[in-house]
Amino acid sequence: MKTLQTLRYEERALHDKLVAFVTLSRPDCGNRIDVRMVKELAAICDHLEDESEADVVVFRADGDDFCQGMDFEAFVPGQPIDIHGFNKWEKIAVRLERLPKVTVALVDGLAVGGGFQLALVADQRIATSRARFQLPEVHMGFLPGMATFRLAKYVGLGHAKRIMLCAEWIGADRALELGLIDRVSDDLDAALGETIQAFGPIHNVAVQLCRRLLNESFATEFENAIGHFLAAQHRAVTQTAFLETLKREHNE
Amino acid sequence: MTTPRPRILAVGTANPDTWYRQSDVIERYHVEDERIRSLFSSGHIRGRHLILPPPDAAGRPDETQGELLAKHLSGAQDFGARAVQRCLDNAGLAPTDVDYFACITTTGFMAPGLSAHLVKRLGMREDCARLDVVGMGCNAGLNGLNPVANWAMANPGRNAVMACVEVCSAAYVFDNTLRTAVVNSLFGDGAAAALVRSDDADDRSFAPRVMGFESHVITPAIGAMRYDWDDDAGKFSFFLDRDIPYFIGLNVEKPIDRLLDRFGLKRRHIDHWVIHSGGKKVIDAIKYNIGLTAHDVRHTVSVLRDYGNLSSGSFLFSLQRLLDEGVVERGDYGVMITMGPGTSIESALVRW
Repeated sequence: MKTLQTLRYEERALHDKLVAFVTLSRPDCGNRIDVRMVKELAAICDHLEDESEADVVVFRADGDDFCQGMDFEAFVPGQPIDIHGFNKWEKIAVRLERLPKVTVALVDGLAVGGGFQLALVADQRIATSRARFQLPEVHMGFLPGMATFRLAKYVGLGHAKRIMLCAEWIGADRALELGLIDRVSDDLDAALGETIQAFGPIHNVAVQLCRRLLNESFATEFENAIGHFLAAQHRAVTQTAFLETLKREHNE
Repeated sequence: MTTPRPRILAVGTANPDTWYRQSDVIERYHVEDERIRSLFSSGHIRGRHLILPPPDAAGRPDETQGELLAKHLSGAQDFGARAVQRCLDNAGLAPTDVDYFACITTTGFMAPGLSAHLVKRLGMREDCARLDVVGMGCNAGLNGLNPVANWAMANPGRNAVMACVEVCSAAYVFDNTLRTAVVNSLFGDGAAAALVRSDDADDRSFAPRVMGFESHVITPAIGAMRYDWDDDAGKFSFFLDRDIPYFIGLNVEKPIDRLLDRFGLKRRHIDHWVIHSGGKKVIDAIKYNIGLTAHDVRHTVSVLRDYGNLSSGSFLFSLQRLLDEGVVERGDYGVMITMGPGTSIESALVRW
């Protein structure tokens, strides 16, 4: 990976698993997502997909806030707005969502706009009691990205409409109630450790396929979904992980 | 100076004029077996172009092997010629401009080969060099494109045309078994042609360059797809094993990764996937084994829906739809994948 300026990246072992930590590191400006950060996230995705042996990827942040949203520096009044810039961000978000690893977001402080979205693409979200979530975009006259696609699947349509149209602030406990996050803890390291242990043995192919079928379940007819399931199940049961499971079952 | 990679400069497709909804076929031949009716009524295929005989006294299609072969030849000459003509029209060329002509077909054996018949029919030159690829099945379009591309590479500036011509309705046995119903409800008639040429390096016209091929044959599954003689029917009969999607799914990563590795690419670098419309299950197997999205296979799925499985020419119908869509940009990569008997998986990398 080339030199990172907006992110930090490290891998270390935790509870017998290799964990990749992706840390947003623009604390002076609330870890806002800029063009450079999107590019660096792409480089990190390349590394995670092609080389990294890590089983778990953790998104976290330096400073007081997880992420205050998009950096509007590149958008200048009077200049044409580059819609493709939005697409670049969404492409990275969906790549992070589909990584061949288990992903966890650790949210402390504000997770606003793009920061909220980044948390949504993770498989699990852990927040501190001072975490606050908000999607203010509609009040600013634009749209909260593909959170429009993802949020209702977590919280239901009614909550999603209120959260977006009222730009509602959501504290950690409320987020837990809504199913937006999985755990509240002021000891993020300990909570991460417990979450990683709870993941148990991580079989990347099974994780990826299961996550994909779940994500698709909201928009697929059963008659198509059963075909997708059989194709995915066949892939899963021909992998080493399941063959090892079978051997153990037969030896016991 | 190295010769530039050959490019696919134009595509043309054609089908018989007669088109049947799935329900038309079962009504026409008074199919009452519920299991067979349900094979026809699954929604992945809306209808197909077919050349069907009127029902006989028993309400069935009654064609001898001789009649089926005659249907293959007449159908192949008709819509095969139209596909080639459209391809040449799209490139602003005439049949007399064709220097090398390859015909791909599996649905009928004959000598002289189909290429000679189409040279005569279209009035191509007497010095047109020819190749017939016969009996390789649904994957054969890429098996044919390989020598066509190589010929074009060895003969810069000259026009090579490949025509995939399949009269699948000439390969039908209608005996009220599930074995034949699987085939009879899936395959359609159609032809697709592609013009391939290597031009000067400074030629900047917008067309995909054929970068390379990768093959894969799964010999343990050699019997999974067969077109062989059925003594009882006295005809050639097509057989499809129900486990084909799983043979393909289990193996498809291998040729694709070998192909991409040769060019230092990853799957995420591929902008366009042009995949044979083999059937719903085999498309799903490829989707979930190499991680493609519904968007990646949109043309594969829509070609299946509108035409059924057109065997060797299917992937060119998908390529045509991709080109018509107008989304391709210079520098984009595409991977073409065809699957068929062997069991075979053929693949090619193209770049615009």
